[in-house]
Amino acid sequence: MQNRIRLALAALAVRLAIAPFFMHSGDVSTIYESSAIALRGGNLYDFVYQQTLLMQHATGLPIFFEGYAYHPLLIYFFVPFYWIYGQISGFSPAIIGGHFPNLPVLVYPWALLAILMLKVPIIIADVSVVYVMGGLNLKKAEIYAFCPYIIFISSVWGMFDAFVAIFLLISYLSFQKSSYALSGLAFGLSLVKLYTIVLLPLYAVRLYGKGRDGLEFLAGFLPTLLPVAYYLAVSPTSFWNVIVTFQGGRVMGGVNLYNFIWIVTDVHFDLLVSSIPSILMIVAVLFISLMYGRRLPLLEAILAIMFASFLFGKVLNEQFLVSVFPLILLCEKCDRRLWVAPFVFIFLRSPFYYFAIPVMWASPYFYDLYFQAETIWQALQTYGYLVIPTYAVGTAFSLLLFRNLLQVLKSARPGGASIRWSRSLSRALRTLRM
Amino acid sequence: MSRLVAWLCLRLRTVTALFLVYVVALSFIPVIHQLFIAQNSWLGYGTGAYAFQGPSYFVLFNDPYDGSSKPNIHVNPSFAPNERISLVEFSDWTSYVDGYNMFNDFNATFRLVSPTMLDIIYTRPGLTLHKLIDCSSPNYIAVKFVATKEVTAHFELWKWLLTDVNGVTEQNASKPTVIGNATSIHFTFTDQSTSASGTGEISLSRIPTAIEVWPFEHGFNRVTVDFINSEMTFSVSGTVNAVGQSSPYWSYNDLPYVLPLIAIIVVSIYLWFERHAEQDKTRPSRSRR
Repeated sequence: MQNRIRLALAALAVRLAIAPFFMHSGDVSTIYESSAIALRGGNLYDFVYQQTLLMQHATGLPIFFEGYAYHPLLIYFFVPFYWIYGQISGFSPAIIGGHFPNLPVLVYPWALLAILMLKVPIIIADVSVVYVMGGLNLKKAEIYAFCPYIIFISSVWGMFDAFVAIFLLISYLSFQKSSYALSGLAFGLSLVKLYTIVLLPLYAVRLYGKGRDGLEFLAGFLPTLLPVAYYLAVSPTSFWNVIVTFQGGRVMGGVNLYNFIWIVTDVHFDLLVSSIPSILMIVAVLFISLMYGRRLPLLEAILAIMFASFLFGKVLNEQFLVSVFPLILLCEKCDRRLWVAPFVFIFLRSPFYYFAIPVMWASPYFYDLYFQAETIWQALQTYGYLVIPTYAVGTAFSLLLFRNLLQVLKSARPGGASIRWSRSLSRALRTLRM
Repeated sequence: MSRLVAWLCLRLRTVTALFLVYVVALSFIPVIHQLFIAQNSWLGYGTGAYAFQGPSYFVLFNDPYDGSSKPNIHVNPSFAPNERISLVEFSDWTSYVDGYNMFNDFNATFRLVSPTMLDIIYTRPGLTLHKLIDCSSPNYIAVKFVATKEVTAHFELWKWLLTDVNGVTEQNASKPTVIGNATSIHFTFTDQSTSASGTGEISLSRIPTAIEVWPFEHGFNRVTVDFINSEMTFSVSGTVNAVGQSSPYWSYNDLPYVLPLIAIIVVSIYLWFERHAEQDKTRPSRSRR
């Protein structure tokens, strides 16, 4: 048996052994609920938008229901596995409620099966990364396969950034091999979590002036936008609100230097301040795409833009780094220990027992222990003791990202396309002034 | 423009310096907000909660998913102005109007009437009730109920732990006890988290049908007020006595002052690390013998 197949099977075994017993109840509940709605043929965006309207009507505040706010394609990765769960359980309710700030009601034994089934596509994506990486560098594939952070996000949390990781990896590798249609398709699929949209200007710059290659890329990319076009046609208000208004109107925070905003309890002010990083992100992404898009090797260019978007993007959740982790491992200039900061951050933001709800809810003894631990956690929160390490780790991670960004940018070739771009830009500005 | 771009590209140190200034500058936002914006005005946040910070009182009105703290009136003690000690907490979980639970049986919506007044509108078929929380006075917080008709109301006001209510202590009221129907409730308390003691008063604008105290451990943990009327105002005021300790008192509200320090420390560590990394790079490597 090939070594990389053996490695992929080992990665699969580790993940499957853990998967049924842990979850992030808010995120897994969202996918569980959304899969059920999608299988019934319901409109996910209408559901989320109605919840948002209810919240806004009740409170008079510009706040949003945090439900399914992803690309329409995403849910179809889960629906087949939810359907299999339904065939086994007879669609018995397994996870009831669970949206923040509520805790879920779990129905045993079906809850464990539902959690496992919803994690299977994520685990497949993870194992696919291991397999593909194994073909390039077995040592690096091993790091991905057994990295505690990666295993935690996929198998414990149940978050699906591994989809982005595999599609981004395929997009990069196929672009390098001049398979532009596949690269475009994989890039389109990587948009299931939307944040890779920042790479679009880079692909445009790389393909600029290469007519046939660009068309091939578009031929692969455009079909992935068909579901977006469909929802924009059938429920434009809901879709726009959930995808654009919600994502654009989020308060900053996460594993970054912006999480200080969590102690500023004023949503209007928070939204105003959140526009600072948003503006900087647009400027940084465009600057790097135009000035370094062709001067950097593609791998470094992708990483530079993703690092810049993480650095200036107003929301950087713990799991986002998974999406570029395979590329970080492939890049000689990046520090592969970057994962440590978001991994530590997970436990500062959510207590570990929160992820162990499927285990703790199974027995009255553990259920009681959960609330005893919660009392201590709440006391730490009340006095703000967790805010200090949370802010320190977020800021440290931002600085590490900044350092890696500079390292990557240093590998730029001198002169070349960037100078032509900057000259055209200056000419355009001069024309505008005249 | 191209010169600027080239300058920026070459001057990575300048970019680093600018970024580090950006990190430290942003860390001052919470303290700027606390000092200049978050005073004397209701501010909404999170999943729909509202908070008000006045010169001596802090009032929290919880989000629509929680029936507690509706509102929770805190006093800022003079020995620790950033600390918030709960004085009285109104609970929708345990309050009833015409037999209907305030949390489960009413549809509640929040609206700001003015920067100092929050209006919570409770509706159900045939009945609308306004709960107006007026923080305009520096001396007390007024919680006013106005119904569209005369109602039979039962409101529960919680505090861990009241030691004396209108002269009644746990020693002479070991069971739930009706203590009359006065329009003023004087109480003393010991705060469980800080061990500070204090006094408070709740003035009622109408005569209630009954005021009852509920014993819990070594005191009372709630006072219930029953009345039949279409209107009632609870004016809540209180003070906290200084605790015996002289050491600096940490509270959640001190965080905005700490974050810039954290930012400076993290940035310093980064600079130190960078400097050492650079020195290691420039140091000539020794050959092994």
